[in-house]
Amino acid sequence: MAPGSYVLKLTRALLPYLEALVVTAFVAAGGIAIAERVELPNISLIFVIPVLAAAVRHGLFASLWAAALAVLAYDYFFLPPLYRFTVADPADVLALLFFLLVALVTSALAAGTHAEARTAQREARTTAQLYDFSRKIAGVVDLDDLLWIVVAHLARALNAEIVVLMPQHGKLGSRSAFPPDAILDDADLAAAQRAWDYDYRVGGFNDPVTPSSRFFMPIHTGRSEIGVIGVLPLDPSGRLPPEDRDLLEAACSQIAVAIERLVLADKAEKAQLGAERERLRSAMLTSISHDLRTPLASIIGALSSLHSYGERYDKPARDELLATALSEAERLDRFVGNLLDMTRLDAGVIVPRREAVEVGDLVSTTLRRAMPLLHDRVVGSVVASELPVPSLDFVLAEQALFNVLDNAAKYSPPGGRIEVEARQAGGRVEIVVRDEGPGIAPAALERLFDKFYRADEGDRRRAGTGLGLAIAKGFVEVQEGTIAARNRSDRSGAEFVMSYPL
Amino acid sequence: MTGDAVLILIVEDEPPIRRLLRTTLGAHDYRTVEAATAAEALTALRHHRPDLVLLDLGLPDLDGLALIGRIRETTAVPIVVLSSRGDEGAKVAALDSGADDYVTKPFGADELMARLRAALRHRLQQQGADRTFTSDDLSVDLVRRLVRRGPEDIKLSPKEYDILEQLVIHAGKVLTHKHLLREVWRNETVDPQYLRVYVRQLRQKIEADPSTPRHVLTEPGIGYRLV
Repeated sequence: MAPGSYVLKLTRALLPYLEALVVTAFVAAGGIAIAERVELPNISLIFVIPVLAAAVRHGLFASLWAAALAVLAYDYFFLPPLYRFTVADPADVLALLFFLLVALVTSALAAGTHAEARTAQREARTTAQLYDFSRKIAGVVDLDDLLWIVVAHLARALNAEIVVLMPQHGKLGSRSAFPPDAILDDADLAAAQRAWDYDYRVGGFNDPVTPSSRFFMPIHTGRSEIGVIGVLPLDPSGRLPPEDRDLLEAACSQIAVAIERLVLADKAEKAQLGAERERLRSAMLTSISHDLRTPLASIIGALSSLHSYGERYDKPARDELLATALSEAERLDRFVGNLLDMTRLDAGVIVPRREAVEVGDLVSTTLRRAMPLLHDRVVGSVVASELPVPSLDFVLAEQALFNVLDNAAKYSPPGGRIEVEARQAGGRVEIVVRDEGPGIAPAALERLFDKFYRADEGDRRRAGTGLGLAIAKGFVEVQEGTIAARNRSDRSGAEFVMSYPL
Repeated sequence: MTGDAVLILIVEDEPPIRRLLRTTLGAHDYRTVEAATAAEALTALRHHRPDLVLLDLGLPDLDGLALIGRIRETTAVPIVVLSSRGDEGAKVAALDSGADDYVTKPFGADELMARLRAALRHRLQQQGADRTFTSDDLSVDLVRRLVRRGPEDIKLSPKEYDILEQLVIHAGKVLTHKHLLREVWRNETVDPQYLRVYVRQLRQKIEADPSTPRHVLTEPGIGYRLV
């Protein structure tokens, strides 16, 4: 710090005393002027004014100084012999002593008031700072963001370098600092470690065990220890003013609570994720064992009975058994295909092979392949003429539409109508599939595209894999499209919209 | 060809599939020889001179695509590839390196037989047989350059006709985009968009309902097939 600023500080410290001197001089001059015109019985009372003024404005020491000045001025200007610091009348000595007593008591009282006011002011400032601080850290959800706000804010508020250290892999290390390039030396680290180990404020130049340029305070809540905060005051004294120490302590407990909140939220989220994974795993196991075993049971049953007793069945019975085995094998094939698609999606290995795809061609090709599933439905398709040609992966888009059609067939009654409409909507091409089923229950709307989710209808379990729509969504989304499901507004039934950008 | 029946070489490393193919083909009066590896396949090819090769792409000793290349070095025998679902890239690669068609595993007997027939017919056509195609209301005569839908003569532009001609020559077989570009435009690097546009126009003329084509079918990710 420049020497000039020491002079400045000294001047500032002496200012109250100078002020008391000036005020006393004015009062003395005023007293002389009054005494020339009117005879006052006790002119000494006006000298209470500088004492009070100093006490109220600058506290105890300034008012004691003012009291001393006042006594001297009173003696010098008003007590005979005038203009001398001696006192002729012994009664005047007594009066002077009383005056001094009054001035001292007044000083003490007024200075007390002054101190209280200053404390109140300081507390208000600290409270405002803390409020500001807590507001800033309240909404933060990321630990690193939170720590950054903490160090930046405290560094400004305390005029200090701030570091926060937290244990990582069993070792205390710097997590955040302001300024960000603040470097901790070995002494600092030793002090920080002690603060952490003994849960006590340590460090600073006067620390007998680990003297260091910074001091360190533990951050902890009643429940858990969080870390250590290190402070390097930039003030030349190397100390924090008392009010800043209060601020720091209060801030530390707020930081502790905020960090604990984050850690707990993180734990809760992990637990929720774990539960979700668990649910998915059990749904997957149920689905796989059910969807693999059921068709296999039919196939093995039908074939073994033909193999062993074929000659006992008449032709219609044999055909029936064979048809069962065949259709169940095809179902198994679809399921395995779905599992493979889902695995490819989960593995993130699908890269769309984009080409200009005529949506009419896409719709008719898909409908042709889906025909066996839709044979007892009335199928209609409307493709807007002059539809622009989006750039899609034909295979993925076809499979997505196929799965949506498959779903429509499963969840709508035989004989019902299934419509496919392709149209332009702004800068997108939409493919809409409508059915005449019961529509989608509100509870199902959210989970429709979840893996292994199957909408139950009463106690009847649908013969799907619970993967079709999840795959459709995955395939649409790798092509930067969207898929949405809703209930029809014109009648009962579901409506699926696949939308692709042009 | 030795004897009357068509001889098919089955190249497949899975014994159950070989057995299935042998039985199925036998029931359709095809004779079969079997190979479990690429090396066996090349030997069998020399010794038996089969009329068609049914080839599984996943062989233990040599990549299926490489084997197609080796076969094509010596013979133009029709090759039908057995491949897995969801592997369009491998199918296109196999077709472009000389395979005639593919069947996706698991396959139905109907589909397998249709593919074999189409592949064998093309071989006969090359020997100067049938130059006509008839399916439902559509009839094409490549010799007289006549295209008819029902009783109606249809006028096609030269490019449309060239595309249809390729489809008819290879009727029942899948044709890749690359094949059509090569044969019709004489240039594989032409923007496939042209092909798409001409196929659309062709469908407008020869299909009864162009929005639901019955003859010129799209094979997603691969190409077109005339049925």
